[in-house]
Amino acid sequence: MILELKDYLDDMKRCARCSLCKWPPLAQMKSWRFSNNCPSIARYNFHTYSGGGRMALGLALAEGRLDTITDELLNIVYRCTACGACDSSCKYNAELEVLWPIYSTRAHLAGMGYFLPEHSMIIDSLRKEDNTLMKPKADRGKWAEGLGVKDLSKGEKAEVVYHAGCLYCYDPELSAIARDTVLLLKQAGVDVGIRGSQETCCGSTAFQLGFQGEFIKFAESNIDDWNAAGVARVVTSCACGFGIMKSVYPLLGRQMKFEVLHITQYLDELLKQGKLRFSRSFPARVTYHDPCNLGRKSETYVPWKGTEKKVLGQFILREPEKAVSRGWNGVYEPPRDIIRSVPGIQFVEMERIMEYSWCCGAGSGVKQTMNDLALWTASERIAEAKSVGGEAIVTACAWCEQNLKEAVRQTGGNLMVYDIVELVRQAL
Amino acid sequence: MQIVVCVKQVVDPEMPHSAFRVDPEQKRVVPPPGTPPVLSPFDQNALEAALQIRDRLGAKVIAVSMGSSLARPVLSRTLAAGADELILLEDPSFRDLDSFAAAGVLAAAVRKIGEVDMVFTGRQSSDWDSGITGCVLAEELGFPCITVASKVEIADGQVRVERVIADGFEVVEAPLPCVVTIDSALGELRQVTLQALSAARKKPLRLWKAADLDLPPLPPPRCELLDLFVPKRETNCEFMDGDTPGAAAARLAERLREEGLL
Repeated sequence: MILELKDYLDDMKRCARCSLCKWPPLAQMKSWRFSNNCPSIARYNFHTYSGGGRMALGLALAEGRLDTITDELLNIVYRCTACGACDSSCKYNAELEVLWPIYSTRAHLAGMGYFLPEHSMIIDSLRKEDNTLMKPKADRGKWAEGLGVKDLSKGEKAEVVYHAGCLYCYDPELSAIARDTVLLLKQAGVDVGIRGSQETCCGSTAFQLGFQGEFIKFAESNIDDWNAAGVARVVTSCACGFGIMKSVYPLLGRQMKFEVLHITQYLDELLKQGKLRFSRSFPARVTYHDPCNLGRKSETYVPWKGTEKKVLGQFILREPEKAVSRGWNGVYEPPRDIIRSVPGIQFVEMERIMEYSWCCGAGSGVKQTMNDLALWTASERIAEAKSVGGEAIVTACAWCEQNLKEAVRQTGGNLMVYDIVELVRQAL
Repeated sequence: MQIVVCVKQVVDPEMPHSAFRVDPEQKRVVPPPGTPPVLSPFDQNALEAALQIRDRLGAKVIAVSMGSSLARPVLSRTLAAGADELILLEDPSFRDLDSFAAAGVLAAAVRKIGEVDMVFTGRQSSDWDSGITGCVLAEELGFPCITVASKVEIADGQVRVERVIADGFEVVEAPLPCVVTIDSALGELRQVTLQALSAARKKPLRLWKAADLDLPPLPPPRCELLDLFVPKRETNCEFMDGDTPGAAAARLAERLREEGLL
């Protein structure tokens, strides 16, 4: 199994409570105002809400030191977007796994039957309707009606399958972006198909909430279906889907006979090949928000098994050497290259970017279960975008876009929020 | 009217095959991390049966579950679905009881509840599939028992039940109080809403230990589990050659006869 709390006992024991998981590394910090990296500890300001605190909690659970699982404990466990910022910051100095013990703590609790009531609705929806949004499975392919795109679930063949993702399929505003994406791919001459009503959730939310069994069912089914369809590439707009397909699917031990790409990677490739060309200007000062699942969380995780030896009383040597995912190899440049290549655009970076990016607040079921935390986190990002003079914030994740838009509406600001595909469509 | 529904927390029968493990030493299924227990599916049907009667005639529906370590969020789903009260019979001594002992504990709980008009259980639980508990519970309580019900109606102090049988269904009547075990043909448990989940937090949840029940000594186990294993499944594919399709078919028939399959 993937998420076993006992596999992380050494990491959890070795956490020195240094609290470096709470901030970006000092060398990356640019101002006091935007010096937090973890929405949970920044908002609640009690150690258990931080990466290190969650390690202590996980250790207590693994060692059987928690007699009762209270509602408050569950609230703390799930008041976290599992954005992985703590993990990236910790690994700047140390090599402790922080994010996977957080996942494993949730899996441990879920295995005992402890989760939030709202999660049971999300999981019920997955079991009955193959999506996390409580929408009918039969309606999943409706967004593509009239596009004339191949439907692989009906036996048609294509080189590329476009996996829209739950939100892009069901949210009317985001469905328009999925339609635009297919039109862009067709315009570039890509042999693309979809799976219509047979497309299912990637399982990302189930995984992040700790429902490992449910995740495995969806992941195995998706891999088998894409292998059977004979596609060479799976292209997705869903950053959460991309992150989980890249980082966790390979751990299931099933052969994946296809390459997984996020739409930003594919559009960047098509633009650089000259298959898509911008013809219109987009005169605006624009910044880019890195979705966690497209960035630091999209590196393929390599579980480590081996022996550890302490030398000189403090240094840990591992045999064999451990592959450490520091978030360095996420998808950072393709979306930035796309934005930079749009005529007339003035691209400006925010303070917390790439592997040290601030989360939008929507991840890991937080948007569905704790909207107050989601919106507060998004409002912090909006403030950061404004602080660098951004007139618009571009992102590449449906959850980020939806959450940032809601926060802008709530705070009454005039910052525009764009999906990167919208930007491309407007500039073509 | 007061209806008791017995619900059992079981290992998720829909867990992925690749995650299914058996500990042969302990003779136990090892629940994989991140796969929560669920309400046994037939017990969900039983709860739905009780709620349908409550909707038609008005009744208090009490869900009762028994075990040594019960997951509140899983069992609270009974309250969210509409049960008025949840009683957890939780005690270390209730670990791994067989159907006869389990029925004894449940019967003690029903007696403690008092005036009970009906007791519903699932036709069998999805973990061991024994299908014994409901019947023994009726025996313990001295109630009539009707099994494998697909429809339940109450009129004039009588319960009228449609039972699933091999070639259709039969109709059986019994006086109240009685025990009815419910089949999936009765219908799925109703959808739970977010509002109902919130409201469920305010409904009564009682915890009864073994000492809280007037419990006679539990009978020794009547079944001994000798072994627990995942059966090996082997597939061998052999092609029959022949000059003609008829000759190949004849050869196939011979091979099947050799294997004792014909």
